[in-house]
Amino acid sequence: MLSRNKTFQKARGGLWILIVAAVVLEAISCIQYFTSRASIRNEAELRAKTELSRAELEIEKHTIEMETAAQLLAMLAERHVNNPDSIYSATRLIVGTIKNTSSVAVAYVPEYFPKKGWYFEVCSSRISSDSIYTRQIGSSAHDYTQMEWFLNGLKDANCLWSEPYLDDSGSQTYVVSCSCPVHGKNGEVVAVVCVDLSLDYLQQISEYLQIYKGSYYSIRSSKGEDIVAHPDTVAGQKYAIFAEDIEATGWTISIIIPDDVIYAELKRIGLIVSLLMLFGLVLLLFIIIRSAKNLINVVNLSNQQERMESELGIARSIQMAMLPTRFPPFDDYPNLAAYGVVIPAKEVGGDLFDFYIRENKLFFCIGDVSGKGVPASLVMAVTRSLFRSYTSYMDSPAQIVMQMNASLTDESNEQNMFVTLFLGILDLASGELRFCNAGHNAPIHLQSGQERCVVLHCVANLPLGVLAGFEYNGQAVSMNEGDTLFLYTDGLNEAENIGHEQFGDKRITECLTRSENEGPSEIIHTMQTEVATFVGDAQQSDDLTMFAFRLLNKSTINHQPSQIKTGHHSLVMRNDIQQIPTLAEWIDSLNLPQELNMPVNLALEEIVSNVMLYAYPENKSGQVLVEAETAPKRVVFTISDTGIPFDPTQQEEPDITLAAEDRQIGGLGIYLVRQLMDEIQYERKDNKNILTLIKNI
Amino acid sequence: MKTSIETNADQLIAHFEGRLDTAAAVQTTEDVKPLLNAANKEIVLDCTNLEYISSSGLRIFLAIRKEAAAKGSKVVVSNINADIRQVFMMTGFISLFEIK
Repeated sequence: MLSRNKTFQKARGGLWILIVAAVVLEAISCIQYFTSRASIRNEAELRAKTELSRAELEIEKHTIEMETAAQLLAMLAERHVNNPDSIYSATRLIVGTIKNTSSVAVAYVPEYFPKKGWYFEVCSSRISSDSIYTRQIGSSAHDYTQMEWFLNGLKDANCLWSEPYLDDSGSQTYVVSCSCPVHGKNGEVVAVVCVDLSLDYLQQISEYLQIYKGSYYSIRSSKGEDIVAHPDTVAGQKYAIFAEDIEATGWTISIIIPDDVIYAELKRIGLIVSLLMLFGLVLLLFIIIRSAKNLINVVNLSNQQERMESELGIARSIQMAMLPTRFPPFDDYPNLAAYGVVIPAKEVGGDLFDFYIRENKLFFCIGDVSGKGVPASLVMAVTRSLFRSYTSYMDSPAQIVMQMNASLTDESNEQNMFVTLFLGILDLASGELRFCNAGHNAPIHLQSGQERCVVLHCVANLPLGVLAGFEYNGQAVSMNEGDTLFLYTDGLNEAENIGHEQFGDKRITECLTRSENEGPSEIIHTMQTEVATFVGDAQQSDDLTMFAFRLLNKSTINHQPSQIKTGHHSLVMRNDIQQIPTLAEWIDSLNLPQELNMPVNLALEEIVSNVMLYAYPENKSGQVLVEAETAPKRVVFTISDTGIPFDPTQQEEPDITLAAEDRQIGGLGIYLVRQLMDEIQYERKDNKNILTLIKNI
Repeated sequence: MKTSIETNADQLIAHFEGRLDTAAAVQTTEDVKPLLNAANKEIVLDCTNLEYISSSGLRIFLAIRKEAAAKGSKVVVSNINADIRQVFMMTGFISLFEIK
């Protein structure tokens, strides 16, 4: 569950990465957008200003041309101020010369030439590129005296420009007019010259002011009238205006660019960038999901592995519990010593050895299951139970092995695993060893009399589990007192060092020869050390099992100094003081060193009698359990009872220096126990008084 | 455990034989009663055949010692084995009795 949470945390971490990446990208694109926006606007302004300057020059070129024409015509009119008819050819000359004007006119103050009437205005208009139409157009219908250009001329100022107006008499288009006064002999203004500039033409020459598709431009007079406007409206949009004033005419040229137009490209790029960012984020999301999935898999895998490892640990402890842990000599069978060890290559292995004594016979076996690990260990466990069950009522090795083979070759063995096994029965009284070898390494017989190692001759039998109904042959050999039989699995002779050299049979027999006169446990420990030294840093490739037993000399047994044997002993006593002598007998059976007899006797008696006197009320039935754990270096006694809580260690110590008259009768018992034992501990547990005494040897 | 008392003119000798443990103490307490009544005598506790003594036995010895002192008698413990001597040492009894 924990690891699932971890996975979710990691996935959430991935989501965070995604969010942070999105925010960072967004921030970057925002900054990019605003900086680009500023530079694009600057660029637009620069471009607008450039075009405006150009337009200003272009327009001025034309206005100056018109002004020059107007002044020239005014000069001509002044020269022929008394000859009204000459003005026809003069206007015609000007229109013919100044290609960009649509029409020119000279309008005289009313009744200047009485012969010509109240109105007299001579006008030449361009009809086409090579045709000019000249006529008098002044009349009451065309009352030029009220027109702006005429009034401008009367102001006696050169080259004033009118507001745009429809030229109804001349070109029939919208025009602006430049006016110049014509002076009479006395310097008074007698007429006004007017040179028209067509707005259509102005628009035509300023078309390039539309610098963007969708931008606008305009030329306005000083009074705010549109001289040129294209297109007409920019209402309802955000826009930028760039303007330039033309000093001579007082006009203003403007370029108007809506924001949408300026930033169209930026918007397009922004859209592409956004799409790319979205794509990147989706890609990132995909990667995160994938890696989170992998992570979950890894976590699941490691969980599985942990579980497997813990199960292997359990399997190993179960397997180890199947192996013998207590080895002879036992009290009942003092003439046999035995020892064995299994060193699995993996956590659990397929090697086994087992033994037990029944009816003064040692039943033993050593075996090796093909393969290693859990499957082998399961077959090993089965083989061991088969050994135990068949030997419990049979005593012919060949028969037992055949029965075991029958069980291992039935349909349950689908894995086709086989077991090499050496099974033997040693008669402890006669030394006769009957055995059956099912394809296992032949054991080595250490013959004490001849001082030599002999590989036990074994007939070739198949391993167990190979062939159902195989006839196994039993054999027999005689073991003398002092002889040792050393059994092992191929993990010993095939143990390899880093150079892939095998330990081999020769090293085994050499080692055995050296430790010939030693007991089974010493032999095996020596062998273990030798093989470990040989293998060095190389990895153990196979399970390694050794088992050895020795038939001890009767004389050897008697002459050996009595040694305390490791073991557990117990005595149950009724709550009766008269039971005390059984304690002494039991202590005798522990075979403690002579010098311990009295102290142990005394201490135990004091404790037990204390329990009987104090923990159990008088005549109440009850029991006192006395246990001894003996080891070479110390003995641990445990005295437990189910009486009322009673802690003897809390009793007051007597003063042993007092004179006889002052000495108390009681309290001596526990005092003696303290003196006699090395440790004393009281514990009340599970409604029991438990007193532990330890005596070091 | 067996206790026998030998009576002389000015001497009472108690012969202990066997193990004087808690179980035996009850009977021994009965057996040594004659010693408790003796006045102005030498009381000898003969331990030649006494194999073992526990605190119950020590109490009997102490009771005899106290009673004797009160009645002007003198108590002698004779021929104790090494184990019993060790117990006497540990308990301070060695200085309460005259040991022979």
